[in-house]
Amino acid sequence: MSDHTTDRPEDNLPGTDPTAQDPADPDFLRVSDLHAGYGQARVLQGLDFSVARGEVCAVLGPNGAGKTTTLRALCGMVRGRGSVTLDGTQLLGRSPEQAARLGVAHVPEGRGTFSDLTVEENLRVGAHLRTGVLRRGRSERAAVAADLERVYGHFPRLRQRARQTAGSLSGGEQQMLAIGRALMLRPALLLLDEPSLGLAPLVTRELFEIVRAVNEEERTTVVVVEQNAQLALDIAHRAHVLEAGRLVLSGPAAQIREDGQVAEVYLGVSVRSRKAG
Amino acid sequence: MSAVTELLQQTVEGVGAGAVYASLALALVLIHRFTGIVNFAQGELAMLSTYVAWQLMASGMPFWLALPVTLAVSFVGGMLVERVVIRPVEGAPELTLVIVTVGLFIFVNAAAGLIWSFTVKDFPQPFPDGGIDLAGVSVGWSTLGIIGVVAAVMGLLYLLFQHTSVGLVMRAVAANPTSARLSGIRVGRVLMLGWGLAATVGAVSGVLVAPLLFLEPNMMGGVLIYAFAAATLGGFDSPVGAVVGGLLVGIAETLAGAYVDVVGADLKIGVPLVIILVVLLVRPQGLFGRAAVERA
Amino acid sequence: MSTITGILRADGARAGRTRAALIALAATVAVVGAPFYFAPFQVFQLTMVLVYAVALAGLNLLVGHGGQISLGHGAFFAAGAYTAAVMLDRFDTGHLATLPVAAAGCFLLGLGFGVPALRLRGLYLALVTLSFAVFLPLLLKRLEPWTGGSMGLTVDKPQPPAWSGLAEDQWLYFLVLAVTAFALLVARNLLRSRVGRALLAVRDHESAAEVMGVRLSLHKTLAFAWSGMFAGVAGCLYTWVIGFVSPDSFSFVLSITLLAGLVVGGLASLYGPLLGAAFVMYVPNVAQDLSEAAPGVVFGLLIIAVMYVAPAGLAGLAGRIGSAAARRLPRTRTPDGTHTARPTPSGTSATSADPTPPEAEVQAQAEPVGAPPRTEEE
Repeated sequence: MSDHTTDRPEDNLPGTDPTAQDPADPDFLRVSDLHAGYGQARVLQGLDFSVARGEVCAVLGPNGAGKTTTLRALCGMVRGRGSVTLDGTQLLGRSPEQAARLGVAHVPEGRGTFSDLTVEENLRVGAHLRTGVLRRGRSERAAVAADLERVYGHFPRLRQRARQTAGSLSGGEQQMLAIGRALMLRPALLLLDEPSLGLAPLVTRELFEIVRAVNEEERTTVVVVEQNAQLALDIAHRAHVLEAGRLVLSGPAAQIREDGQVAEVYLGVSVRSRKAG
Repeated sequence: MSAVTELLQQTVEGVGAGAVYASLALALVLIHRFTGIVNFAQGELAMLSTYVAWQLMASGMPFWLALPVTLAVSFVGGMLVERVVIRPVEGAPELTLVIVTVGLFIFVNAAAGLIWSFTVKDFPQPFPDGGIDLAGVSVGWSTLGIIGVVAAVMGLLYLLFQHTSVGLVMRAVAANPTSARLSGIRVGRVLMLGWGLAATVGAVSGVLVAPLLFLEPNMMGGVLIYAFAAATLGGFDSPVGAVVGGLLVGIAETLAGAYVDVVGADLKIGVPLVIILVVLLVRPQGLFGRAAVERA
Repeated sequence: MSTITGILRADGARAGRTRAALIALAATVAVVGAPFYFAPFQVFQLTMVLVYAVALAGLNLLVGHGGQISLGHGAFFAAGAYTAAVMLDRFDTGHLATLPVAAAGCFLLGLGFGVPALRLRGLYLALVTLSFAVFLPLLLKRLEPWTGGSMGLTVDKPQPPAWSGLAEDQWLYFLVLAVTAFALLVARNLLRSRVGRALLAVRDHESAAEVMGVRLSLHKTLAFAWSGMFAGVAGCLYTWVIGFVSPDSFSFVLSITLLAGLVVGGLASLYGPLLGAAFVMYVPNVAQDLSEAAPGVVFGLLIIAVMYVAPAGLAGLAGRIGSAAARRLPRTRTPDGTHTARPTPSGTSATSADPTPPEAEVQAQAEPVGAPPRTEEE
């Protein structure tokens, strides 16, 4: 475990094939007519939106609007109808493990770290897809070591805590670990569900700055669901506002931020009657 | 023989018995960690494995060859049980899971009786007679052998879980199946592996205890209760606890049988009952378990 | 239009009542006539079904309604059986005296068991109760001066009085039938009383129930006590019917069989215990006909199969088939739905501690698929 080579991390950036990175790929993630729910409860009633490659997309909305359900439908945790394609590949109808294999890394609400495992073991589990369980050749080991370095680079605090169990970390550190583990997948699409939940404002800000840095340095496409609209809009390129399972507003983040409608729809000062979702 | 020597002698016997309980308790704990199920059929699966070993030896295979073959068969069998019997009720209410493993218990018990009949079979003792003498305490080769085999199994499991990527993935699934899924781990396969491992570890207990108890379909019923006590004492989510608990239960049982007149030889089974009750009332998470778990 | 449907429906309701009365009458005739129609051995089997039904009704209180898993009810059964046997053998008390003593004794035993059970949940309770069931037969062997040890005790069966003109098996059948009917009635009323509603509340929403002032510990302990009492009464009847008890009759297999029978019959259902009792009595027999050593194999497979196919048990399955059949029958239905003025159950519940009244609960249990065609109402 001590042979972490740090050689050429720049060769191991995500998006393994740089030529495939078409900056003008506005439909990298394409969600069309997405319906989803739990049992009888229909939460999503036909969503349509796209996320461009390399973009940070914020999904906002009041409690119960269907934000979390949207993410869960994307990663296969709930079943959906309609169509969700990632770089042309259909994601609907796949299990979470299959979605992960297609490059979708979901950081669930409440983090979901492996609390008995050490920080480093958590991260290694994140890399498990590429190393497999049986074939662990030299090159894979080196790649994992490089990825560890990359994640530790983003989250220096995790390096300090490498040998501690995840359960002993603070809430903010656990969230960092959850995101770090997701990054170990070298995801094509990173889904963040309420990363600020239960964290102090300072920690939250630090976390969002890291997400921004990850996006800028690694060109990872990010969809973030967030209660704290201001924070999310700060790092997002585009934003979508959900209400009662439908999209009510979409646009560039800067525009949404300026738009008074957000306050009305999102902050709950709307005069329109609204069903609790 | 002095009183101290006598006490030591009894303790040694207790450790020998305890090693067997530890092995079955470890099987219970493995499955509980992976699936949250207490497998009431664990002892019967071990009994079935023991019959496989007996059958192999009856057809002329030497013990030390029959053992690995039996363990391999048990591993595959455990995986099949998970896939065929348990998977369809995954996530069902606790009562359903209890009933299904109880159904499996009845089925396996009867199936063994159907195939091999309920008459008692002599199971060969793999270890030589006699033993060594340590300051007046005689330690039988069989006792030493049992302790050695169980220790080897524990050691291998430790290596597997702590130093291989399969083990890492298994621990991840045990800790948080949802997150494991989201990391791309095929949780179903890992659960099968877990059941296979548990069946293997349980098989060790069956094969080791068979020479002492004689082989018959109801052989493991009592052992299962001791294993429950061991797992409860150690903590149902702690493999280390299962081992320590098993040894303590074995020692307590032997000492109570020897020194407490009311218990005697016939009521020893009351010892695990008392241990289970006391542990659950005083420290429900067991010696090595974590308090937060299982108080849902 | 609505008057016509109204008349039709009134007609239908009357027909329904008549049909129910007819069914009840037929059932009564069948139950009373059975011992005169069947051979003594079959009458004996029917009697045993009734005995098991009492035990299962008790177990149902605890498991079905209280949500606590017991793998040790055979122990209460054994306690009741031995109470009766020892009283008859040592004190020659006569049969009727054994019944209240067995009932009271097992009630107290259940109370004693209920106290540690308070601290245990789910699997752990199952472990403790199973261990107890394994332990008890050995204890019975040890108490040889009273229990006769491994040899057990042989006692007299209740003899039919001369005026009745009944054979022994018939007399036993009616005796047991009377006790069983009474016991099932008590169980039903218990469930409809505050105790039953509190139990349901505890099972479904423990923390909520506690907040609403249901005395959790009291009710959980009482559930054990009542449940133990029923099993003890069943055990007492067992001694009457069999006339012989031995430790090996009450191995932990009995406990496991009882729980399996209940689950197969249908948890928290009124008829579940009866169906389960028939299952416990007849399935091993039928399986025995198939192959000499097969009963356990078939029994085990059936238990697992029922869990897969019909988690609500046979009673649930019957309910499902019944409602499916009812759907196919011609029905009167108001298209506008305005006349379906059945009050919503939750709005009219009697106590605040009771989120769902027992009947609604039973239906919900019996029909997990939620079969009623609700789509047409909108």
